[in-house]
Amino acid sequence: MFTTKTFIKKTRIGHFLKHVREHYIRDDISCGFKSCEKCQPVESFLSPDHHNKCSLFNYNHYIILDTNVILDQLDVLEEAPIGNVIILHTVLTEVKHRSLPIYKKLFTLIENPSKHYYIFTNDHHKDTYIEQLDGELVNDYNDRCIRKACSWYMEHLPNEKFILLTEDADNRNIANEEGITACSIFPYVKHMNDNAVLEDKLSRKEIYLDKDAKDLFPPHLNNVELLTGIKEGTLYQGTFRASRDNFLEGYVSVEALEDQVLVQGRAGLNRAVDGDVVVVELFDKSDWISPSEIILEDEGGVEDVKDIEQKEKELKETATKKKGEIKPTGKVVGIIRRKWRQYCGILQGGLEGVYQLFVPADRSIPKIRIETRQAEFLKTQKLIVTIDSWPRYSRYPHGHFVRALGKIGDQTTENEVILLEHDVPHSQFSEEVLSCLPKLPWIITDDDVQKRVDLRDLDICSVDPPGCTDIDDALHCREVGDHLEVGVHIADVSHFIRPGTALDLEAQSRGTTVYLVNNRIDMVPDLLSSNLCSLRGGEERFAFSCIWEIDKNANILNTRFHKSIIKSKVAMTYEEAQMTIDDKSKNDNIAKSLRYLNMLAKILKKRRLENGALVLASPEVKIMMDSETMEPLDIEVKKMFQTMSMVEEFMLLANISVAEKILQDFPECACLRRHPVPPSSNFDPLIKAGRHLGLEIKIDSGKDLAKSLDDAVKPDNPYLNTMLRILATRCMLQAVYFASGTLQKEDYFHYGLAVPLYTHFTSPIRRYADIIVHRLLAVSCGADATYAVLLDKSKTNEICQNLNYRNRMAQYAGRASIAFNTHLFFKGKLQDEQGYILYVRKNALQVLIPRYGLESTLYLARKGESSNIFEYNEEDQTQRAKDVVLHAFDPVKVRLSLNSDNIQHEKFVLQLVSPFIEGFSVPPIEEMDTSCEPTNDSGKKRKSTGDEKKNKNKKSPKNKN
Amino acid sequence: MSKKELLSKIGLRLDGRRAHELRRIRCKLGVFTEPDGSAYMEQGLTKVLAAVYGPHQVRGSKSKAHHDNCLINCQFSMAVFSTTDRKKRPRGDRKSTELSMHLQQALESVIKTELYPWSQIDVYVEVLHADGGIYPTCVNAATLALIDAGIPIKEYVCACTASLANNDVPMVDISHQEEVMGGPTLTIAALPMSGKIVLMEMSQRFHLDHLDKVMNKALQGCKDIRQILDAAVRLHVRDIGSATGWALTSYNE
Amino acid sequence: MSQKFHIRLASQRVNTNIAENRRYPKIFTPGETITQQHEFMRGHGTYEDNGELKSSVAGVREQVNNLISVKPLKSRYNGEVGDIVVGRITEVQQKRWKVDTNARLDSILLLSSVNLPGGELRRRSVEDEHMMRQYLQEDDLISAEVQSVHSDGTLSLHTRSLRYGKLGQGVLLKVFPSLIKRSKTHFHNLPVGASVILGNNGFIWICPVINNSEDSVGGFVQNLEEVVPLQERETIGRIRNCIKALAMCKMMLYDTSILYAYEESLKYSIAELLVPEAMIDVAILTQHRLSIIEV
Repeated sequence: MFTTKTFIKKTRIGHFLKHVREHYIRDDISCGFKSCEKCQPVESFLSPDHHNKCSLFNYNHYIILDTNVILDQLDVLEEAPIGNVIILHTVLTEVKHRSLPIYKKLFTLIENPSKHYYIFTNDHHKDTYIEQLDGELVNDYNDRCIRKACSWYMEHLPNEKFILLTEDADNRNIANEEGITACSIFPYVKHMNDNAVLEDKLSRKEIYLDKDAKDLFPPHLNNVELLTGIKEGTLYQGTFRASRDNFLEGYVSVEALEDQVLVQGRAGLNRAVDGDVVVVELFDKSDWISPSEIILEDEGGVEDVKDIEQKEKELKETATKKKGEIKPTGKVVGIIRRKWRQYCGILQGGLEGVYQLFVPADRSIPKIRIETRQAEFLKTQKLIVTIDSWPRYSRYPHGHFVRALGKIGDQTTENEVILLEHDVPHSQFSEEVLSCLPKLPWIITDDDVQKRVDLRDLDICSVDPPGCTDIDDALHCREVGDHLEVGVHIADVSHFIRPGTALDLEAQSRGTTVYLVNNRIDMVPDLLSSNLCSLRGGEERFAFSCIWEIDKNANILNTRFHKSIIKSKVAMTYEEAQMTIDDKSKNDNIAKSLRYLNMLAKILKKRRLENGALVLASPEVKIMMDSETMEPLDIEVKKMFQTMSMVEEFMLLANISVAEKILQDFPECACLRRHPVPPSSNFDPLIKAGRHLGLEIKIDSGKDLAKSLDDAVKPDNPYLNTMLRILATRCMLQAVYFASGTLQKEDYFHYGLAVPLYTHFTSPIRRYADIIVHRLLAVSCGADATYAVLLDKSKTNEICQNLNYRNRMAQYAGRASIAFNTHLFFKGKLQDEQGYILYVRKNALQVLIPRYGLESTLYLARKGESSNIFEYNEEDQTQRAKDVVLHAFDPVKVRLSLNSDNIQHEKFVLQLVSPFIEGFSVPPIEEMDTSCEPTNDSGKKRKSTGDEKKNKNKKSPKNKN
Repeated sequence: MSKKELLSKIGLRLDGRRAHELRRIRCKLGVFTEPDGSAYMEQGLTKVLAAVYGPHQVRGSKSKAHHDNCLINCQFSMAVFSTTDRKKRPRGDRKSTELSMHLQQALESVIKTELYPWSQIDVYVEVLHADGGIYPTCVNAATLALIDAGIPIKEYVCACTASLANNDVPMVDISHQEEVMGGPTLTIAALPMSGKIVLMEMSQRFHLDHLDKVMNKALQGCKDIRQILDAAVRLHVRDIGSATGWALTSYNE
Repeated sequence: MSQKFHIRLASQRVNTNIAENRRYPKIFTPGETITQQHEFMRGHGTYEDNGELKSSVAGVREQVNNLISVKPLKSRYNGEVGDIVVGRITEVQQKRWKVDTNARLDSILLLSSVNLPGGELRRRSVEDEHMMRQYLQEDDLISAEVQSVHSDGTLSLHTRSLRYGKLGQGVLLKVFPSLIKRSKTHFHNLPVGASVILGNNGFIWICPVINNSEDSVGGFVQNLEEVVPLQERETIGRIRNCIKALAMCKMMLYDTSILYAYEESLKYSIAELLVPEAMIDVAILTQHRLSIIEV
């Protein structure tokens, strides 16, 4: 049972503590070869049928990898027909230590049987374990371990050939001396059959330029200097966030400092990439500046240094020291941890040769230099690229090509890009997951009926947006004596998704259903989301019911929860429900119940608002798609019906009731949702905007804010209130899920809804948090048993973190999808639209076009030039052109067109139509010549419209102002 | 995933053991001449000395003595150098007092105290090196010392820890490293032959679903430990017996 | 003043096992079933559990007719009537002394069980009770014989022989009781010039040779003035170290073994006898000599 064991000592210097750990050496570790008779048979994917083909070695061989190969060249390993790879445990540990994401990826490789990988636990094997020598560096020791394992394999299996792939030249040399065949991965891949694509994927750490490369960036401090700096308080550690608008500017959020640290310029940013954990050094207070208000884009070529120098100059000239806006300024002096990932994007056009510039879709990421032999093909494609390194002499980081996603501009490609960029898991559900689904036909058994309350006779109906197939809530209301009984019935998803199953884990990792304009990425397989769990009209379904007894003044007298069987009488759209309520001739149970619900909802809403709940707004639009061509037909703002708010009120009520219940029963591990109170500094833009309008916006409490917003009405600008609400929305923090045990009770507060407790219970089909809440509630009401993870506070919190992340990403993905389709819709169109100025900037106006829910920039001056027409008044936030003054929130008429110069970032180009400003505005479309068709070349257009301006000057009436 | 895996995907723990394997146990009886019984026990790197004095007349206040059984007095102490951080004092802190009491409970369950009215048995354990599973090692060492002292006990009392790796796989005999990183640790002291559990302690909350398998694992660990202890006892008896020429026994060569 | 210290690491410890690998009897360990038959009576070191007779100690089974007992190789002293013990006074009570004899309870020495000065048959008076502390006080060492064993295991001692009584100048040594070999006499005047009392309780007293004939007081006198010559003291020291060596190697202690060990030890200085290697050497040589005479 036990094997011989010896000890090694590990010393970890930190506080100069000596740690002694056991290390057992075993004699039962197998080499992983099925043919081997000396070792115990063990499950192994190594296969004698797989052949590694490389013309450098004219025999079949097994490959042993060094750590550096895995860390840098994982993309090649993933792709290449390289199999029969032995991963040594030493290597595995080192990989894990160096990079967790790569370790995870490596593991998916290892677990893939068709890749034929095997882990050999060399450091616990009696013959391959070696002791670390005194004074031997860890790296050398690991290399020695690897070589030892190689020679052991060679000795152990004399009939097989082994090749060590390593990038470390020293290691290679010693290995060769010891009789081990060692090789670098570069020649190896080069001599593989069908290597064309593979070679592009090789990561290159060092690329030497022909010309004497000048160091473009100051060096980073070494780790010791950084750590002492941080310790002494002269340096600060934080996360770097690049500015989306200005590639030479970014912020570092430092925990110890209240304000983010502004970093500017090439030297200031010093090769930090968005997301990196960096160390900054603060300048003297006298050198602090305020953030620039100009927009700068990187327009350089492969090794073009001039552009950046010119832009830097531009930036410097605009550097201001506005009072009140001065931010702590500093420079990045070192990087603690890179957060490099894979980026989607395209190649920059107009470059020849193997060196190409990759332009990431994410504007906060710099361009990446890659080497490829298939540039011509890739130029038509969206592709994924990853960063390998960023040396001092290089203007851009070096990376390598990972894979192509598809043709640029394709719906499917773009969807794929959106999903990838937002890290949305969107692969097909695996067989294992699907096997967890119930078999069809699905029949309700007597047993089921016994365990549940039978509500099939109740007149329950569901109200949803049109075309909704995942109906997760249904309602009913009936009179019981003097009171009303209101029931919210939620699809009982947790009945089908049992904890710990593959289905559960998959749903947990997806976290939420993602809605794209023409696509829905389900959290659970279709069978559940659109059928068994969906509370369709006329079908018997399992539900989790929350039933209140409510008096006619909407006071809750009694709440109960139970699992039930329901049969929704009808599934309605908001519009249908509204019509039913309004149609006085209808007097059936459904109509009655809807009217009661509507009545109660109004009281509830009023009460909620009185308590300080905020009514926020964000421009939401719906894109009508052509079902055949999948092209956007029209964009419309979502219609609002009373019934929407009716359903919402009851969902809120149910969520609140459930939150109270589960917190009471599970004070430590209830999954709740909170909306933190935003720091008052967040409201600055809102207050400022209000002040210019002569409105006072109080932010002391949610109630004050709600009231101020309600009062902020100006009769001449009906849209003003909405805009203020949009601004207010942007001041908010994200609402997040959390496990109750991890926070203090006062932090549970939901600011937006102004309730002390809140959770998500009502949409289990599309949100995983609701499933957890369902399970907790099921335990509370005795319908189900607990399981370990459910009661584990830290585990719940872990899940919540993931859900928060997925939610945020799903939201972004949804917006990105809408944006893409809006662009598609406007392709080749030219339109005049009513808009409102949201912000006034130094060289631009931010204009909101409510009809399309669009927000875009109207440049007042061409790039790099200051406007000679407009005068910017910083105090009032206005732009003045002669007698026309543009304030924030002013209505404007703008001309919309799409600039497709940059196919990755198609931009709307706005042109002012009214108020008319001499030498700037364009005439309304109706008055234009038909010959003046919009072209895709914005530069030309700008010119031509400029010409026209002169002609039309006299005609244009000044309509407003 | 931020947590390190306690059990790697290939089924080895951080120190190279499998989930069901105990750490290396080395033990020795009769390491001192002064006490009536003594033992040295090593479980992995956890090293413990135990000494038993008695049964002897109750010293100090006579009121503590019982007319029908003997008093068992346990003292647990940890050498100041036994942990990575130097301890301030070897005993008297809350943890030591608690462990002393638990040790006493475990021993009282096996010692045939009714044979020794008015007497007292002192058990002293000293941890020389702590590397997880201090209490079990102390119990095991104390058992050996009792046997060495010739004090009648019902059977061996063994203790063992168990925990859950990756929230799923139970594993036995937890090292310090695993204790710190892992989840809840279950400690049990049991009579392995009859399968009775005399003491059970958990470091954190556990879900009921896991309790059974973890407990069985720990119990199995106790049984494994008993076998090792038993072998050590037999060897010890044999050696002494041979040295004295079995003179005390009726055994004739 | 320089002294030589021997500090040994645990890893450098010498194995003191000198036993030859011989056949050995079946060993029972606690909890092990001895027999499932009911006709046996349970003796020491056994207990009954579910109708089975089980061992409660680690040792060898002994059977006397129907009585089965398991004897541990090491335990506290279990007194038997007639045993010679060496003990230390722990307490002076009314009419009796309490004596630590390495048994599990302190033994009792009644005032009536001692020979008082002035004749055996003297009546014990109240004065005697007051005088008790003058005869024997706390921490005095005595030799005595076990008179009776009480039901709770307490031993009653007596010193009603001229051989017993208070001990004067000499050295006390403690070994495990089981190492003392039972024999007819436990008082030995070794020819090398020292006297040894091998108490059955594992306490061994080594003193200069006693001239029995002269000293017949029944021992309440203690002559601490007399200077014992160096040579005698050295002999006592050597004997002590020899006994220690034998005890370390778990060898039985009796006059012959001690004598042999003494003779074998002569090649070492007295101090050297404390070094483990020397101790084992002495023990092995002794054992060898003993085995010769046994055959």
